Amino acid sequence: MLLKLSLSSMRKMMKDYLVLLVGLVISISIFYMFQTLALNSDYTKNNSMISSIQIVFNVGAFLLAFITIFYIFYANSFLLSLRRKELGMYMVLGAKKGKISQILFLETLTMGIISLVIGSLVGIALASGIGVLLMNLLEISTEGYYAFYLPAMLMTWGFFLVLFLITSTINAIRLARATELALIRAEQQNDKIKSKGIGAVLVAILGVILLALGYTCLHLLMYLQALGFIVGAISCTIGTYLIFISLLPVLVQALKKNKKLNDSKLNAFTFAQLRFRVNNLTKILGTVAMLIGLGVGAMAGGLAFQQNVNLFTTVFHVYDVNLHDPVEADYQALKKMNVLEQNTYRYKVDDKAYYYLKEDLLANPLLISTNSIQNYSADNKPKLVTDPLPKEAYIVSASKADKGKYEAIPEDWDKALFTNFINYQMIEGKSILVVDQATYEQTAGSEHKVLLAKVDDYLKYTQELKAMDEHQKQLIGSIVNVKAEDVYTSSKYSTYAGMYIFTSGTMFMGFFLGIAFLAMMASCLMFKILSGAARDKDRYSMLRKIGVRQSLLVGSIYKELFMVFIFPAIIGLMHVLIGMEMFSFILLDPYLNIWIPTLIFVVIYAIYYYITVQLYRGIVLPKEA
Amino acid sequence: MSTAVLEVKDVQKIYGTKGESQSHALKGVSLTIEKGEFVGIMGPSGSGKTTLLNVISTLDRPTEGFIEIAGTNITQMKRDQLADFRSQRLGFIFQDFNLLENLSVYENIALPLSLQGVLSKEISNKVSKVAQTLGIEEILQKYPVQISGGQKQRAAAARALVHDPAILLADEPTGALDSKNAKSLLETMTDLNENHQVSIMMVTHDAFSASYCKRILFIQDGKLYTEIQRTGDRQQFFKQILDVLAELGASHDVR
Repeated sequence: MLLKLSLSSMRKMMKDYLVLLVGLVISISIFYMFQTLALNSDYTKNNSMISSIQIVFNVGAFLLAFITIFYIFYANSFLLSLRRKELGMYMVLGAKKGKISQILFLETLTMGIISLVIGSLVGIALASGIGVLLMNLLEISTEGYYAFYLPAMLMTWGFFLVLFLITSTINAIRLARATELALIRAEQQNDKIKSKGIGAVLVAILGVILLALGYTCLHLLMYLQALGFIVGAISCTIGTYLIFISLLPVLVQALKKNKKLNDSKLNAFTFAQLRFRVNNLTKILGTVAMLIGLGVGAMAGGLAFQQNVNLFTTVFHVYDVNLHDPVEADYQALKKMNVLEQNTYRYKVDDKAYYYLKEDLLANPLLISTNSIQNYSADNKPKLVTDPLPKEAYIVSASKADKGKYEAIPEDWDKALFTNFINYQMIEGKSILVVDQATYEQTAGSEHKVLLAKVDDYLKYTQELKAMDEHQKQLIGSIVNVKAEDVYTSSKYSTYAGMYIFTSGTMFMGFFLGIAFLAMMASCLMFKILSGAARDKDRYSMLRKIGVRQSLLVGSIYKELFMVFIFPAIIGLMHVLIGMEMFSFILLDPYLNIWIPTLIFVVIYAIYYYITVQLYRGIVLPKEA
Repeated sequence: MSTAVLEVKDVQKIYGTKGESQSHALKGVSLTIEKGEFVGIMGPSGSGKTTLLNVISTLDRPTEGFIEIAGTNITQMKRDQLADFRSQRLGFIFQDFNLLENLSVYENIALPLSLQGVLSKEISNKVSKVAQTLGIEEILQKYPVQISGGQKQRAAAARALVHDPAILLADEPTGALDSKNAKSLLETMTDLNENHQVSIMMVTHDAFSASYCKRILFIQDGKLYTEIQRTGDRQQFFKQILDVLAELGASHDVR
């Protein structure tokens, strides 16, 4: 009988349960999608070569699990709060508590299993859809990545089943401990109004100081190293929570104290609701701010690495094309490009050395980059190497036999020759010399040439440049007797391509992590707000009775929830903007295109804000007849 | 007729749609309340008195008929107009106080004025004036949880009166009060009616509360049953009410 009752009441509250179900499905599917990456170590190994990425993955998986626990906890207390009154009524009517606890346990578990089934399916779809789409977009190979990955599936089911069992038990215990009366009156408990005094102001100041300290540590990370990171992270976290515990309530209080503002329209009510929220949601708001920071940070970090590839490449390479002995196909390809500058330099090679012709070099002096990673500026233009070369021969790289025989070439020439002419695999223990016309002509070896070119935008010609690179690999491979795929060319394109793949992997992961974080924390906030909504119902019906226009009530809801959503967003984004600075010692410009992750965040967050308002509105403002 | 604050003509209210099981809550009720009157509406449970109050207070629409409050026909109004009308022309006191417990007493009372866009300074004046009338100046900065039931109902009354409504509608205002507080509130309402010319319509099933009214309308089965006027003192009126109620009860038994 009770089972029937519970089923029918669940059917009646279909909409509320749907909300819950959707939240759980989002959580489960994201968790699964993430596990397909976190557990598939073959894939991550292929896509990121350094171990620190693996650490990020593990930390990410841990954080995700941690947040998911919180999330499920909130989702379930939401469920319970919706049912308390009804369950209390059964008890008053004489149903045994044990029996009701049992039913609640089964309900929670059933709900969990249903959401697990749907969540896994959605997870597979997400992984194959978004995952593969993202990878294609980034031109990363999807080889080794599986949308359906059994270990990930097992992990997801295991983790969530345990979680659901625990929450079901907690729900049942909670119910068992509550009295009938407390259950029936569940919604009538009043808000406690704690007044905030001078203590709160002090805590707020402490919070701001800690935040400032944390930011300074991250800013000076280059000097403070690991210690700076640990101190920075800890003081930022504590500072954030302190600010939400003290500063926000104080601010809202100040808003309320402004009599003129408070007395206008429905502001008194809006502020009162807001005050209640900032006082009761301090912990979750602090957590949300941190998660926004982590989520957007993960996205921005990944993106920054990827976006900096081009800058990195320009630091090392001035010329877009450098070819030894170009073939006909290369010339054809060059014709298709918009070539700004093109020069050819001759050299001879015998079994002892490479001989570059000095006159060619002086006729068309080389450009070298004046930028370095430590000291990057877009204003640092490449400079022409102008050092005179009066002697008849200079040495660039000496074989054992030639050590000390010739004068070393000036530094700038050295740099120019090394970046543009010399492939390390080609040296093979030979010397590299720059010689004048007379010496060059006396030298017996075979003659070759190097072609250097600058084009308008090398990223436009990646196909052609790739083909050129293949030709070069074959050529060099045949000279030094190794397989073409084992040849490393030193062209701008190869530097770019190598870094692009690695950083795209980082970015892909950053986005996965970021979106998962954002979605979860936004729905956490949503549930926390909605779980208190039933209690607000009376207030809104009261306001309606005394004649507040529907539009004004809706406006109040929008305003109030906007404030609740915007505070953590501001602080979270502030964390990101300041935190990204810490990458400046490995990235040239950590803020490049930071608007993309920011925009993604704003969109996801705005969607959740809108859904929350609509759901909340549905609960507190029933349709008027 | 110009002095009537409320005019109800042939009001019918039918719940449910045609074809389904319909219930006829009001079967053609007509009544008039003059300015400055203190009228009670009595009747057994299910007689339709709450429905009558709901349609008068514009929370519900009559199926048929015509209601005019202070010269305004409210039956044809749109939703927003109704809301504005409620907030500007009507004052409510409910059995369960209906104070917003997250607002201070001051803010609760100020709310109807804030909604009308009254300036902060003027709000302050009006609130303290009405608080003085109701004897709650001391508790203005407190929150509803911190004050007694009697004080809550006074605060609710203050909120109902602060914007000078055309009529004060009270729904079982003493229902949740102990006898001492109930008596005190009723005396206050009498004072408001006699000395501040507040028109009051009070729905109650409690004969003692009703005895404070000047005139009482009895409803039964969705129709006006009878009407009595207070002529002598309150005790006498109380007995008169009990007689009518007994009569009502008897007619119930007969059927």
